[in-house]
Amino acid sequence: MSNRPMKMKLISFLIPDNSKDRLRNIGILIVAVFILAAILAPVIAPYDPDTKTGEPFEPPGNRHLLGCNDVGYDLLSEMLYGARLSLLIGLLAAVISTAVATIVALLAGYLRGWVDTLLMRVVDIVMALPFLPLAIVIGVYMGGGITSLIIVISLVMWAHSARELRSQVLSIRESGHVEAARAMGSSSVSVMVRHILPEISTIIVPQFVRIAQHAILVESSLSFLGLGDPIHKSWGGILFFANTRAAFLTGAWSYWVLPPGICIALVVLGLTFIGFSLGGGTGLTYYPFGSFVLRKRVEPSQ
Amino acid sequence: MVFSRRVMQYIWVIVLALIINFALPRIAPGDPAIYLVGEDITSMTEAERDQVLHEYKLDLPVYKQFANYITGIFRGDMGISLIYGRPVWDVVLHRLPWTLLIMLCSLFLSASIGVIIGVITSLKGGGKQDIGALVIVMLLGSLPPFWVAMLLIVLFSATLGWLPSFGAFALGTTPGSSDYFIGVLQRMIMPVLALTLAHVGSSYLISRSAMINALSEDYVMLCYSKGVSEMGIVIKHAFRNALLPIYTHLMLALGAIVSGATVIETVFSYPGIGNTIYESVVARDYSLLQGCFLIVTISIVLANLVTDLVYPLLDPRVRRPGGVE
Repeated sequence: MSNRPMKMKLISFLIPDNSKDRLRNIGILIVAVFILAAILAPVIAPYDPDTKTGEPFEPPGNRHLLGCNDVGYDLLSEMLYGARLSLLIGLLAAVISTAVATIVALLAGYLRGWVDTLLMRVVDIVMALPFLPLAIVIGVYMGGGITSLIIVISLVMWAHSARELRSQVLSIRESGHVEAARAMGSSSVSVMVRHILPEISTIIVPQFVRIAQHAILVESSLSFLGLGDPIHKSWGGILFFANTRAAFLTGAWSYWVLPPGICIALVVLGLTFIGFSLGGGTGLTYYPFGSFVLRKRVEPSQ
Repeated sequence: MVFSRRVMQYIWVIVLALIINFALPRIAPGDPAIYLVGEDITSMTEAERDQVLHEYKLDLPVYKQFANYITGIFRGDMGISLIYGRPVWDVVLHRLPWTLLIMLCSLFLSASIGVIIGVITSLKGGGKQDIGALVIVMLLGSLPPFWVAMLLIVLFSATLGWLPSFGAFALGTTPGSSDYFIGVLQRMIMPVLALTLAHVGSSYLISRSAMINALSEDYVMLCYSKGVSEMGIVIKHAFRNALLPIYTHLMLALGAIVSGATVIETVFSYPGIGNTIYESVVARDYSLLQGCFLIVTISIVLANLVTDLVYPLLDPRVRRPGGVE
């Protein structure tokens, strides 16, 4: 196995027999490239993104590969630094909401009783609120900026995953080793952390990927509406300025509007591929942008 | 029983929205008076400030302020909009029909397209084309809707010059005239298209999986052995059962479509609720923003309520006592 040439390994990574694995590998590749670009932004960016290095609306050329915006900032450098913000906000918000969802799911699913009833009522109510308008309202009062974006996105995104994780906790709770641990006198906390958490971790990962994918889209929407950090622009922020300067009505759209959107779409698509391959891929578990209200409704009894 | 529990839940949703509206300006960083009265208050003397706070009844204890706020809402009093100088309720009610127009059109379009393609692909069941269709759906779901809207303007307005990119009706035309009607139609094509593209994927996925589930049921096997034609099985038996999950999904997708409309209307300066939210964010018009949030929440709750009321008509099993949950 290890004697195989590097090239063969790469080919078999990219083209596995199974189409689901293929999607996963493509997804990992896309996301890895963007994360690398974000980390290396200060090294590979040709200019400082916040200084005037060219003519306003300069079209792409040798000096500026992606041209310049309306005040002469280099757009390629803006894009590279924007990758940092878009990914940082999306992934951090996903980490926080996954953590909240996991804690809520453990408490509700393991303790049952009134804790469960209360938490699930809260989940129902949060899921019924229109989440983008809600995020905007909270975001406006919190003021723009990276921290408030992360908090706002986490606040509206945990509920759906909490519900899905809880149903898993409920089934694991009844399994033999959990019963045994309880019988041997383990405390609730230790059962939750040492016995249930490891088992649901296989479902936490796809939940995290799915939240991250939505968080990046929501971040871009909020920044596009002008709620982002006005100084440090994410991809959505770049599009906000392109929109307010009506760049899409001039020739500037091809280098100002197109690249940020393609980057957002590619990262989200990469995450979608990964989430799809992890989540069993029945099609039912996949929710596109904004479908967080979707939930299991009145179902006839068996 | 179940129904009354749901109604209680909806009431809680609205109560929570009201509490969010009431509490946010008071707990957010910064001076609450700026949020509730306006920027002017920062340049006032201490006495003037007290006077204004007294007029706005902001010197009362919090619970009395809350009581005033709630009774105000029930009287249709949500404050005065800063940018329009008119009551918030007034502005919001004028904007709501435009949002409903593009939302219902795109809901109808994305539903019919998604269901048709979903039913057809479910019959082939999980082949190579299936993965292809899935990748296309994922791609559609990954595109930021506002970016798609911008590209539509580039294509249809800037390059081809076919469609106007701004507003909801031609200025200077009177409502009711044929010019007005044509103007409205021209201006809703692009927002509806952008919203439809963003949501056709989810209705496709739901239809496909609902159909696959229905086709694997025993009654389909029975139909086969009875010799019912394939078309008859698909349309009369499988699709009728698949309709239920599709229906609930579509009604619930309204909430998601509202989110999509919020950003898409901004790009087209379409005078609906979404664009009003954007305007109020830009101008820091807090009462207008709160009014929009409240009206969107109430609309979604009403849509949910209608879904619940219609569901028993579609599914006889729910009507049977004890048949639910």
